[in-house]
Amino acid sequence: MKRKIAAAAAIAATLLGAAACGSNSDEDAPTTSASGKVDGAGKTLKVWLMVDAQSAWKSVVDDASKRFTDATGAQVNVEYQQWANHLTKLDATLAGSDVPDVVELGNTEFPKYVFSGAFGAINPADYENSGSWLQGLKGACDFEGQTYCVPYYAGARVLIYRTDLLKKVGAEAPKTYDEFLQTAEKVQASEKANGKFGAVYMPGQYWYAAMSWVKSTGGDIAKQEGDKWVGQLSQPASIEGLQRWVDLAKKYSKADPTKNENDQANTFAQGTAAMFYGNAWEQGAAEEIKKDPNDPNSPMVATKVKGKLAAAPMPEVPSFLGGSNLGITEKSQQKELAAQWIKAFTDSTSMAGLVKANALPNATALLDKAAADNPKIAPAALAAKNSWFPPNAEKWADVEKGAILQTMLTDVLTGKKSVADGAKWADDQINSTLNES
Amino acid sequence: MSVVDSPATRRPDDPGRSQQGRVPGHVAPKRRRQRGSSSTPWLLALPALLLIAGLLGYPLIRMLVLSFQNMRLRELLSGRTPPWVGFDQYTRVLTDGVFWAVVGRTVAFTFVSVIISVVFGLSIALLMRRVTRGVRMFMVVAMMFVWALPQLVAAQIFRWMTDSDFGVVNYLVDKLPGVDYQNHSWFVNPWQGWSVITTLVVWAGIPFLAITLNAGLTQVPKELLEAATVDGATPWQALRNIILPILKPLITIVTTLSVIWNFGLFTQAWVLRDGHPEPQFQTLATYSYTQAFGQSRYSLGSAIAVITVLLMLGVMIFYIRQMFRIGEVD
Amino acid sequence: MVAPARPAAPAPASTVPLKRRKAKADEGVITVGRSRSGTILANTAGIVFGVFMLFPVYWVLNTAFKPADEVLALEPGFWPSNPTFDNFISAFKAPLFLKDMLNGVIITLFAVAGALVVGFLGALAIARFQFYGRKAIILVVLVVQLIPFLSLLIPLFLMLQNVNLGFKTFNLTNSLIGVSITYLVLILPYTVWTLRGFISGIPRELDEAALIDGCTRSQVFWRIILPLTGPGLVATSVYGFIQAWNEFIIINTLNSPDKQNLMAWLLQNQTTRGTAWGPLMAGAIITSIPVVIFFLIIQRNIATGLTAGAVKG
Repeated sequence: MKRKIAAAAAIAATLLGAAACGSNSDEDAPTTSASGKVDGAGKTLKVWLMVDAQSAWKSVVDDASKRFTDATGAQVNVEYQQWANHLTKLDATLAGSDVPDVVELGNTEFPKYVFSGAFGAINPADYENSGSWLQGLKGACDFEGQTYCVPYYAGARVLIYRTDLLKKVGAEAPKTYDEFLQTAEKVQASEKANGKFGAVYMPGQYWYAAMSWVKSTGGDIAKQEGDKWVGQLSQPASIEGLQRWVDLAKKYSKADPTKNENDQANTFAQGTAAMFYGNAWEQGAAEEIKKDPNDPNSPMVATKVKGKLAAAPMPEVPSFLGGSNLGITEKSQQKELAAQWIKAFTDSTSMAGLVKANALPNATALLDKAAADNPKIAPAALAAKNSWFPPNAEKWADVEKGAILQTMLTDVLTGKKSVADGAKWADDQINSTLNES
Repeated sequence: MSVVDSPATRRPDDPGRSQQGRVPGHVAPKRRRQRGSSSTPWLLALPALLLIAGLLGYPLIRMLVLSFQNMRLRELLSGRTPPWVGFDQYTRVLTDGVFWAVVGRTVAFTFVSVIISVVFGLSIALLMRRVTRGVRMFMVVAMMFVWALPQLVAAQIFRWMTDSDFGVVNYLVDKLPGVDYQNHSWFVNPWQGWSVITTLVVWAGIPFLAITLNAGLTQVPKELLEAATVDGATPWQALRNIILPILKPLITIVTTLSVIWNFGLFTQAWVLRDGHPEPQFQTLATYSYTQAFGQSRYSLGSAIAVITVLLMLGVMIFYIRQMFRIGEVD
Repeated sequence: MVAPARPAAPAPASTVPLKRRKAKADEGVITVGRSRSGTILANTAGIVFGVFMLFPVYWVLNTAFKPADEVLALEPGFWPSNPTFDNFISAFKAPLFLKDMLNGVIITLFAVAGALVVGFLGALAIARFQFYGRKAIILVVLVVQLIPFLSLLIPLFLMLQNVNLGFKTFNLTNSLIGVSITYLVLILPYTVWTLRGFISGIPRELDEAALIDGCTRSQVFWRIILPLTGPGLVATSVYGFIQAWNEFIIINTLNSPDKQNLMAWLLQNQTTRGTAWGPLMAGAIITSIPVVIFFLIIQRNIATGLTAGAVKG
């Protein structure tokens, strides 16, 4: 028992001690520089990337690490995290002292951690293309005049459609939203015989899509008034967009109203829909699947829709700009090395590699070149220019984690709540979550 | 959770069972009630006690302390002592309608699922006494497989079977005449969703109940049942007046255990809802976990955990008293 | 077991089924209302029940042996038309699968063995000694079994980060030792309690007779108590094994993927490109195999073991 009490006292003492140097939100927070040479011989940098890097562009990671090692002499240990549980694990790990030096997080997840002092400030000028970083990514890094992360890659959502089915009804990629609806109507009619067929695959908890529709009519999720956040979903413009999305999903989608978009490419590959709203890479994911999903180098197997897909920007609907940023943890003992690695991993060479793997680069300056180099992502690159991102609020990640929007969408889709009631409910939830002290 | 020593097995006049002290190293058959030298048992129990105190006791106290603070992500990361807020977390939880809805749901689920499980388990146990040997073996083997399946695996199987696009359940139900279950989503309607969760829990819980109760049934004296038949008792009367009274202690314990387990439902709801249960599928365990780890409200989550334990206290005290009685403690 | 009578003979009552009345195989069989048609009806019901229980198990096997395109067929096939081991090979070749499997084995063995040793000593104390504080120990053992372990995750993590043993400070997170000890403690209260039941089922007369015959206390322990507790140790270790092998929430939070077990691997083995159901189900089967084998090995003891150490997997 005594030992345990001693241990407890020791923990308390260490934690209190750590507190003295744990604060970084002060005005004079030191920025980590990535310029100049760093000697990292004998050191190992610990990097947490999300699993996408492993499954889609591992060679880019390896190449950047190799260049980093050549320049600094330090080794790199990359661990790949799963989206499902990475935040819980990050919290637990950052609470300790043995932390990763570089961490990737989704752009909407960043503000919470920046506000909580998890990341150290960086100097944007040290990184290539920082002048034209995508605002949707960079916005999440800004806090009190400093920058706390480096944009990594982006994805913009586009309309992916079956060329054969559209051709059958004499349609092409729609240019306006009305045209899009007419196409859906025609395809739906021509495939009536198939009971499982829905013209547009739109799962009910796909909030990135629903909120894009809200934006399409000038609505918004929440905005800052003074130092308070105010939910905007029950404003008329938002309701209009939400209603538009609900009408679409109800009429043309056979997708599960309680599912999110994670499986949509797989499902679409079964040929039961003519159109879906997805990331550029999802076109490829729908056309061919890995024979062995656990093997990054596995041969691909064609699906039923192979060679029948094309993508175009979703007309009149601004795209949600998803993506990831990289931050240097505040507790890292080798911040300068970490900055060097990020620098290598986000330079133009690495970005070119990402473009090849169907991801969008981190800066607007690179978008046109990306579209030219890889026609597959051209529509997405175009869509990225007209994009939006969620409120840059400290507690935004809690809104996502609390499944507020997802729950509301399922409720209004299944008729449990009217659109107005659902929006009102979501606003209340958003207000209390974002303004919680 | 020892079910074997149900109170019925105790015989006060059993000499081997009476309470006596033992002095190690002493041959002292006459000094029955003597207290042992007190250091030996403590030395024996010490490793266990130290481990429990260190890895269960200490975190438990930390959890209690946490529930009187306000620990958010910032405090967690910096290691600063979170501000003390007294009973604020408790006030917040207890005045929140959402929390009470979760409590009501958890209680209702526990009630329904335990009743179904125990009734089913008992019926299967009775059935096992009635079928021929080969069929009994088949039933036992089937239950062994289910019992052996890890909870996580079982939950993932059910998620796969009830998938709206590729699930076999929709496919089969759709085959019924006049039913359109193509692309049916089982989790739109909370009643249907909870039916799936309950089915999973009952399905996974039956092997334990049926096999345990069956073992209990083998101990029902055959003579009693034969005598009852001779006296013209219907099977129902035999069940009510002979079997159930004898099985009662065993049933009490397996029921109590089922209550404790099902009240803490986590994995099944979590996996079936793909790691983000909607409000209508939250139980106390998932709610506490979501608050603490999803929303970084560690203190609030701790307060909910403390309240959960308090809510369970009634059942727990009942269980502990049963166990105490069994454990020839007095 | 419920029968009021217990053998006065040396056999530990709680571990050996009744033999007092020349036990017949069908003792306790419900003979009331027994008829031929009733038996057919009962057998049918039993088979239907068994099939119902096994259906999900069958479906997992069915899925695991299907090639990828058949898995996601809109009309699910009830038999893989092109059975393949691809999903299993995929699971085995998957990053960290073998490593996590080995980790799981090490952690489980350590936790079970540790809990048995430590728990046996504790059980011996409360089953065979009368001393001041005994009730308190029993109370502690019973109460800690009921605490939702999940809620202790954060304090546990903070603690393991910084274990001060006086001479040195250790970080036991992200190590097999930390999880092993945690699992040991997780199954310890139950182990103590169950073994206590088994030990106190051994009549004291046996000890006493042996002592009179000149055995020392430790000989009594080695020659009487330990052998007679054998079935109890098996039953208890099954429970411990299942608990430790199946746990995934704690290890998933404490350790990084290369130091996790198969269950956590299973939880994480969902790619961003949707769930790969085939390999997932194959992995699930491989993960369940040790538990199934364990169950089969102790099958002989299971009737006694189960009621004694009545557990839910």
